[in-house]
Amino acid sequence: MVLATAGKHSATHAVAAVYIHIPFCERKCEYCDFVSVAGAKGQHQYVASLRAELRALGAALDGSVIDTVFCGGGTPGLLDLRLMGELMDEVRASFTLGADPEITLEINPSSSSEQRAHAWRAAGFNRVSVGVQSTHGDVLGFLGRVHDAGRALAAIAEVRAAGFANVSGDLIYAVPGLDDKRWEESLHRLVDAGPDHISCYELTVEAGTPLHRAVAAGRARVVDADSALRQHHIAVHSLESAGYEHYEVSNFARRGMRCAHNLVYWRNNHYAAAGVGAHGHLPASLAPAFALQPPPGALSFRYQHGRAIEAYVAGVARSPLTVRNLEWVDATMRAEESIMLGLRLREGVRLEGTGMAAEARALVAGGFLEVLGMQARATPRGEDVLNQLAVRLAAHCT
Amino acid sequence: MPSSPLELIRNFCIIAHIDHGKSTLADRLLERTGTVAMRDMQDQLLDTLDLERERGITIKAQAVRLDYIAASGRTYQLNLIDTPGHVDFAYEVSRSLAACEGALLVVDASQGIEAQTLANVYAALEADLEVIPVINKIDLPAADPELVRQEIEDVIGLPGDGAILASARQGLGIDEILEAVVARVPQPSGEVDGPLQALIFDSKYDAYRGVIVYVRVVHGVIRQGQRVRMMATAKEFVVDEVGVFRPRPTSMRTLSPGEVGYVVASIKDVRDSKVGDTVTDADNIAGQPLPGYRTVVPMVFAGIFPINSEDVQDLKEALSKLNLNDASLVYEPESSVALGFGFRCGFLGLLHMEIVQERLEREFDLELLTTAPTVEYRVRLRTGEMVAVDNPAMLPDPATVDAIEEPRTRATIFVPKEYVGPLMELCQDRRGELLDMQYQPGDRVALVYDLPLGEIIHDFYDQLKSRSRGYASLDYEITGFRAEKLVKLDILVGGQRVDALSMIVHRDKASLQGRKLAERLRKLIPRQLFEVPIQAAIGGKIVARETVSAMRKDVLAKCYGGDITRKRKLLEKQKEGKKRMKRVGNVEIPQEAFMAVLKLDE
Repeated sequence: MVLATAGKHSATHAVAAVYIHIPFCERKCEYCDFVSVAGAKGQHQYVASLRAELRALGAALDGSVIDTVFCGGGTPGLLDLRLMGELMDEVRASFTLGADPEITLEINPSSSSEQRAHAWRAAGFNRVSVGVQSTHGDVLGFLGRVHDAGRALAAIAEVRAAGFANVSGDLIYAVPGLDDKRWEESLHRLVDAGPDHISCYELTVEAGTPLHRAVAAGRARVVDADSALRQHHIAVHSLESAGYEHYEVSNFARRGMRCAHNLVYWRNNHYAAAGVGAHGHLPASLAPAFALQPPPGALSFRYQHGRAIEAYVAGVARSPLTVRNLEWVDATMRAEESIMLGLRLREGVRLEGTGMAAEARALVAGGFLEVLGMQARATPRGEDVLNQLAVRLAAHCT
Repeated sequence: MPSSPLELIRNFCIIAHIDHGKSTLADRLLERTGTVAMRDMQDQLLDTLDLERERGITIKAQAVRLDYIAASGRTYQLNLIDTPGHVDFAYEVSRSLAACEGALLVVDASQGIEAQTLANVYAALEADLEVIPVINKIDLPAADPELVRQEIEDVIGLPGDGAILASARQGLGIDEILEAVVARVPQPSGEVDGPLQALIFDSKYDAYRGVIVYVRVVHGVIRQGQRVRMMATAKEFVVDEVGVFRPRPTSMRTLSPGEVGYVVASIKDVRDSKVGDTVTDADNIAGQPLPGYRTVVPMVFAGIFPINSEDVQDLKEALSKLNLNDASLVYEPESSVALGFGFRCGFLGLLHMEIVQERLEREFDLELLTTAPTVEYRVRLRTGEMVAVDNPAMLPDPATVDAIEEPRTRATIFVPKEYVGPLMELCQDRRGELLDMQYQPGDRVALVYDLPLGEIIHDFYDQLKSRSRGYASLDYEITGFRAEKLVKLDILVGGQRVDALSMIVHRDKASLQGRKLAERLRKLIPRQLFEVPIQAAIGGKIVARETVSAMRKDVLAKCYGGDITRKRKLLEKQKEGKKRMKRVGNVEIPQEAFMAVLKLDE
């Protein structure tokens, strides 16, 4: 049983989430801008470095109870099973896990089998997120995915058969060639496969991806905003009808099956991060462990590890708790981020101050926001223009 | 250094179209006469402000003394006086020309004479200056000096064979130009023993020295320690220093008749040394001031508001600092319902307005919003009282108004004859009345119109240029006020009247203007959360309505993987964008919208 309110019972300064990045993939997808490399070369060395970093993080976080662990990528499911076992042993040895932690593994259908699923269970994972992306061959082809439509759904069955009680599936919409009818069909097919949780992401063209180059060169076109919005609405309607709660802009879950780890992000709580390109957010009180001196007024700090594997390995060898791309977060920035992130959630976000409350009233009058006491959440119309609501409300953060 | 006798002095200026090589030629003259060594040459020394350099225009005149050893072996004192070149500064130009006896007319050998140059050439000829044509850039492949020679003859009526061929860039023809200045520009005349009369042709505020006054001595002598009087203002000062620019300020014992230089006299305010005024000896006052003095009054008015309302005090300080150097700028506090607190500013013309705005933003690091320019109207009330209105929002209730008078101009347009049709149509549209039409040599036509100034300041110049492919030139002078059927056009955004968008227009054109303005605003106001109605109203009557439809989608689909920083930066960018807009009620209005009225004919 996953605690749906994992973030809430953590004190402000506690760290209850750990993210681990595994960069290896069979091939790089056309749209992906996460840190990933094709092939598994260097995975022994990489896992050794990860373990060193996790060990040091565990020591720094001594006393924190970890409620969620998320192993993302890349394709973590591709990792050698023995290495995966050792990695998870390290997690348990380094951190104090809560009574009922959520431990998620991201997998791709192409590198899934019932046998591997058993091994993941044995390694300690209790939740699997399957990168289905589409149930249509041509769409998968466009996205550069390795698997075919049948394999995508078979993977869900395999992890179920291996005993996973919490399974999520991802889909991508607003893909050229995917019309509304086939999009709705994809949603139904995925629902029929019975995942507990579904994420639906709009295809976005990120700088530096092959897709970006294709669009720039005129070899691919992007779907217009109105069509993308329509497909989002189709997803909301289909999945709510099928009994999934629309609990975040792009995420849907059966009762009690919301992703506790991602809720940590959206509730603007802290999380430790290990591995190339991983993003962490830690309280300022932990700065000394990272040899950092917080400036006055800093409440926490965010960091992102570098994107190159060799540099990461070498960095950990020099000092396991080195952070790069450091950013200090003060009270105003935290408040702004809380608004921006919290508005994404159906549970909403707490308004702070009379200026923000007045702004919220105007947005309520316009049908964009619902407010109960000081708790505000976007209406369906408000969700379509969430950035605008965030900018307006965040302007009153002090 | 002793003063030169009159026969060894030559005072001249350079008239040129932008890009025809005025600054480069000035540099070569300075270099050739040893006024500035090669290694000290900073390109285009005469233009001091960065802004001028970028726009290729000169705002403030300056004067440099060159010592030239002529072919005859005699050493001449040459004073090169720089002149501004825009219609906004026509009066300043006339005073600079009054300080000279000659002018070099620089014409690009491949471009020929440009329309803009003509007004200044005519002004020079009217001031009885000897005009020496210089055909520049003869080294360029497209150069056709003979054609340009012919054009000089046909269009201006100057003998073409008197033109000097030159390439300032390559240093060709520089000696011939200097010799021609000596031989052809008349020597100045003046009585050294008479009471002092010196023409002020420019002044500048210097934080250390006070006002630097640029003068051309006509009669008498000005010297350190002398008590002088400004004849127009009757203010008196004791001269601390006189000197010349070569090009650095160099102090001298005296300035004598015919000489050009500067005077420092502990003057705190540029308003005390008005361009065109005459400096005389307080103890031996001249019987008459020199002719041509005019009080400069602002012609164009606009509100300047800080984007961030907290900056209003900074804006006030910036305006007062700018005013030290620019006496023609006037301002007073203004408060707008839509824009908050700011200043109502008066300018000589549109270019002056742009320059002030740019200097405020650049030199004082202010983010500003400027409302559309307007002219000053005279409103006669039923009570018989006359009030001046330089802000459309302040127009009295029509029920109390007997008549509204607008400023009129006598506008002269020079244009090649093939563009006469389109330009007459433009003037017609702008309520112009044709006064005269004359055919000039070289297939040129001079159109003289009585035009409302209010029409000229609204995109007239750009239209003139685009309808004549850049060939037309415009010059105008204010002739007086005239009662017309004028009404106030109001704009409502989101149901609220935006005072800063109100304008005064002719009744017959009001509905059309309202429709165009509403349409223009619809294009300029970005989509918002709410549908935004835009209405134009005359009195209580709505004459146009447009709608900016509500924004449909603005949401980040993906927000996972913990990269919050990047998402926040996207929102910060949106926030920055909003900062550059003014929120009126529930609507964010971008800065450009307040200038929309200027571009109604696009």
